[in-house]
Amino acid sequence: MQDADIREGVDRETVETVQNMGSYKYGWETEIEMEYAPKGISEEIVRLISKKNDEPEWMLDWRLQAYARWVGMTEPDWALLDLPKIDYQDLYYYARPKSMVEKPKSLDEVDPKLLATYEKLGIPLKEQMILAGVEGAENINLEERQVAVDAVFDSVSVGTTFKAKLAEAGVIFCSISEAIKEHPELVQKYLGSVVPQTDNYFATLNSAVFSDGSFVYVPPGTRCPMELSTYFRINAENTGQFERTLIICDRGAYVSYLEGCTAPKRDTAQLHAAVVEIVVLEDAEVKYSTVQNWFPGDEEGKGGIYNFVTKRADCREARAKVMWTQVETGSAITWKYPSCILRGDESSGEFYSIAIANNFQQADTGTKMVHLGKNTRSRIVSKGISAGQAQNTYRGLVSMHPRAKNSRNYTQCDSLLIGDKCGAHTVPYIEVKNNSSRVEHEATTSKVDDDQLFYCRARGVGEEEAVALVVNGFCRDVLQALPMEFAMEAQSLVAISLEGSVG
Amino acid sequence: MADALTAGPGFVPERKAAAERLGAMGLPGRRDEYWRWTDPATLNAPDPKPAQAGEAEAPLFDALDRLKVVFVDGVFDAGASDDLSLAGVEITRLATSAPGWAEGLYGTLEATGQVPVKRPFAALNTAQATDGLLIRVTAAAAKPINLIYVHKSETSDPILHHLIRLEEGAELTLLETGPAGARFNKAMEVDLAKGARFHHIRIQGPDQERRAVTHIFARLADAALFKSFTLTFNGVLTRNEAFVEMLGDDAMAHVAGAALGDGRDGAFHHDDTVFVTHDGLRGESRQVFKKVLKGGAIGTFQGKILVKPGAQKTDGYQISQSLLLDDDSQFLAKPELEIYADDVKCSHGSTTGAIDETALFYLRSRGVPEEDAKGLLVLSFLADAIDEIEDAALKEEIVARLEDWLARHRS
Amino acid sequence: MLEIKNLHVKLQDEDKVILKGMNLTVETGKVHAIMGPNGSGKSTMSYVLSGRDGYEVTEGSATLGGKELLDMEPEERAAAGLFLAFQYPVEIPGVGNMTFLRTALNAQRKARGEEELSAGEFLKLVREKAKTLKIDADMLKRPVNVGFSGGEKKRNEILQMAMLEPKMCILDETDSGLDVDAMRLVADGVNALRAPDRSFLVITHYQRLLDHIKPDVVHIMADGRILQTGGPELALEVENNGYAEILAAHGLTEAK
Repeated sequence: MQDADIREGVDRETVETVQNMGSYKYGWETEIEMEYAPKGISEEIVRLISKKNDEPEWMLDWRLQAYARWVGMTEPDWALLDLPKIDYQDLYYYARPKSMVEKPKSLDEVDPKLLATYEKLGIPLKEQMILAGVEGAENINLEERQVAVDAVFDSVSVGTTFKAKLAEAGVIFCSISEAIKEHPELVQKYLGSVVPQTDNYFATLNSAVFSDGSFVYVPPGTRCPMELSTYFRINAENTGQFERTLIICDRGAYVSYLEGCTAPKRDTAQLHAAVVEIVVLEDAEVKYSTVQNWFPGDEEGKGGIYNFVTKRADCREARAKVMWTQVETGSAITWKYPSCILRGDESSGEFYSIAIANNFQQADTGTKMVHLGKNTRSRIVSKGISAGQAQNTYRGLVSMHPRAKNSRNYTQCDSLLIGDKCGAHTVPYIEVKNNSSRVEHEATTSKVDDDQLFYCRARGVGEEEAVALVVNGFCRDVLQALPMEFAMEAQSLVAISLEGSVG
Repeated sequence: MADALTAGPGFVPERKAAAERLGAMGLPGRRDEYWRWTDPATLNAPDPKPAQAGEAEAPLFDALDRLKVVFVDGVFDAGASDDLSLAGVEITRLATSAPGWAEGLYGTLEATGQVPVKRPFAALNTAQATDGLLIRVTAAAAKPINLIYVHKSETSDPILHHLIRLEEGAELTLLETGPAGARFNKAMEVDLAKGARFHHIRIQGPDQERRAVTHIFARLADAALFKSFTLTFNGVLTRNEAFVEMLGDDAMAHVAGAALGDGRDGAFHHDDTVFVTHDGLRGESRQVFKKVLKGGAIGTFQGKILVKPGAQKTDGYQISQSLLLDDDSQFLAKPELEIYADDVKCSHGSTTGAIDETALFYLRSRGVPEEDAKGLLVLSFLADAIDEIEDAALKEEIVARLEDWLARHRS
Repeated sequence: MLEIKNLHVKLQDEDKVILKGMNLTVETGKVHAIMGPNGSGKSTMSYVLSGRDGYEVTEGSATLGGKELLDMEPEERAAAGLFLAFQYPVEIPGVGNMTFLRTALNAQRKARGEEELSAGEFLKLVREKAKTLKIDADMLKRPVNVGFSGGEKKRNEILQMAMLEPKMCILDETDSGLDVDAMRLVADGVNALRAPDRSFLVITHYQRLLDHIKPDVVHIMADGRILQTGGPELALEVENNGYAEILAAHGLTEAK
């Protein structure tokens, strides 16, 4: 497909999506028998989770250290968020389908209800299929477009596709619980090396109680033969999801990783506190794309996921490269700052973000670019859209250390307001400690352009569709940075998220 | 420090309230987010660090017809000052008067400025100021008022508070010059009625060892104009805060600053903290801050544009830039937007970097020696901020001061 | 006037050699033109002569009136009489054109041990020069090159040339980005400055500028050196046949 075709497809898709718009379409629930750990958090619960995962002693010790630390910590309050009190003792920290107690040996043995769940979400756990929901997918060369999926359901991974094929290339892709058992040397070496156990309140909580997540290791000089993805689904009620992802891209290797998330509609809010660590070694490159579509709460602001996520990539050696792309449309509250530590000389980090907040959603998201090595580069493009009564904040840090000579940063943050009851905020921190580096930051805030809207409507496009089109144009820089399948999905999400924002 | 209740003859309830505010919030510490880049320790300390008065600088604005009011280490100097009488203006001193118009106004703008971010040194100032001017302008002032702050004593610790009220359609240009003391805490409240026009030009310097924490609180009614420009050079520590509230429609507020520091003269830390609130229709605000830093100098900028719900058609702009002339200096910036209205046009920009090599080469290829060329490029860099000064004569004087400083601080 | 001998230049930060044994002599009072395909090293030569950072001279010399240029700072070269009209004149916001010109002129005069011009003398001179070059007084008041059109920028370069009265003028692709009328104005300005004691080196990609500024000598440059030298007819030959033939005769092909 040519770029132009994709773009046209995206625009067409936008209009069609708006026309067929229902509300949150992933809000159904899977009825399945679950096994829960007792409510609340304590040292016993931490031990229990470790035991359920059949973990070695060192892992349990690590968790307990984190827990001991967490008990003495307080929730951060610096974000522009109206944070309801979370009762950490009123949550389940572990929930798994009963059918997962005995881990299935292959995907064929997985509970059909679970497989059906992912099928319905458009993520069939079959190896011959590509990520569904893509118009014109049948025209794409299947070999090129295969995506391996790790499916995480509440607290456990239910299966990972294409493991064998990836193993041929030397790529390890499995759940983190499996990696702790099968590849302890890698996990021990890298876990917590990017996001330390005590990094922040939510990361420390995660370190104590994470139940599952994905693990990726790409060996030196290897280009991962397909895109990898993890699909997170929260299903159980009153349950927190605490997943942990660890990606190691060894020297000269490359991997593109996709992440998707959804949850059922519920009146009560649910907590999701994840940690993603990425280690990038010399000349290696990682692309990490997220489409976050957790249940955002209803039109009155009831329910929804509280999404507190710590994501960080460490460009540990020379010429390492990381690109974060995120489309944040879901969650009642988003607190998330995918960051890059540019330690290696000539390493580079990029952050492309679309954050949409509608109704009563609150988003406080952005990135940190910490330049430590010489000749490092970073680029930040953030597009925030606020509608309804939502609050949307870009928060970022660009730091040039004295040693980071000749480094560059360029930041562009644009905010778009739809309606006069919402808010759009920009809170960048800029710290420059050498003079051979150059930092440029630009930000604008504006409303949906009346002329553009009128032009669309004069050509017969309905108001909601026109808004979606204009917003689509506003986000284009970021949409283009996404892998194609995600660009399509993200596009329709943009439209859906803005439903009811006009008029 | 003077006791809150005996500092002056009037405003006892206002001073008491300020003392209570201060008591409730306490003095800032290093961990306060609003002080993340500026250590308030030397401002907090009971006594100031001794600071020698620098060499007397060439008199400023000498050619200008103005009303001079001189404070030496914070103490009014009647001999050096002009008569406090000016057509269209009532001028009295805080230490000796409490005019009716000022009652219920003194400290009010400062109190408003404590939300959403605390400004403890301003509350301290309102409670404990020993002197200052109370200025009420009812027409276009016949000439500018020039506050001249002389620094002589090594341990002076003056606290001055000025209250300025411009009635409907009134106009005033206020000039402030000089270092004032070893540690200077100054607050200025500026209340602008409908259509009033206020111009403020300040030159802070040139003492190397001085410290200063200053606040301007401004409140703008419909179609009022507020323009403030500050030039700072030298100074171990300067924190200039401005809190500007545009309550009326069609108001215009411009706050600008140029700071030049060479750490080789001693430490240089300059902090501009600006908070502009749009709470009326069609307001226009500009924040233009430029810093030229070398020899380990540190420049910080915390700027915010807050657009309240309903403040439609706001046009807000903010630029903070620094030119780092060598590798030791630092620039730390937090340019914020907080916007609750949709039909607005707000933007900000921030850049940091060294002198543009191409421009430098261009100038040198025309025969301009390297140091002169750098000087020209520094002026070029500062131009946007200096252009915020409307009066050509004042602007010329500021540029002359800049050139002088640059000539004395070549690499 | 200008003598370049066996000049070898590479980029400072990369192992890329740009000038590979360049030889060129421009006699006093003559107009030389250098033509050549993109990437031949024409602009590099002008930058190296005027002293821009980023290049390393590995061999050879360049003298102006017998004095070694390559040891001098850029401003010393200017004071010695060298002037480079930039292909892309630099914008300097906040610095008035007049201030800039006066600073430059007086700095050069001072360097040469001449009396500096007073404000009045300078003003008179600049008005006079602007008038002969048909330059708007308004352009003098504006900041250096800020908001100038392409043509205005180039004319501003010529005004600087007129004010600074250099001995050796290098025009680096002065015609680039100009329409025919703008180019004629610029060429007229250059022609007005032709003098028996002033030499010109006109660097251009196209022959059309040379219709207006008639050269005495034309050089064809490629691959970092002069391939061929001739009279004005050489420019016409290139115009008609392109560079391919000349390049081929030296075993080169046209760069992509």
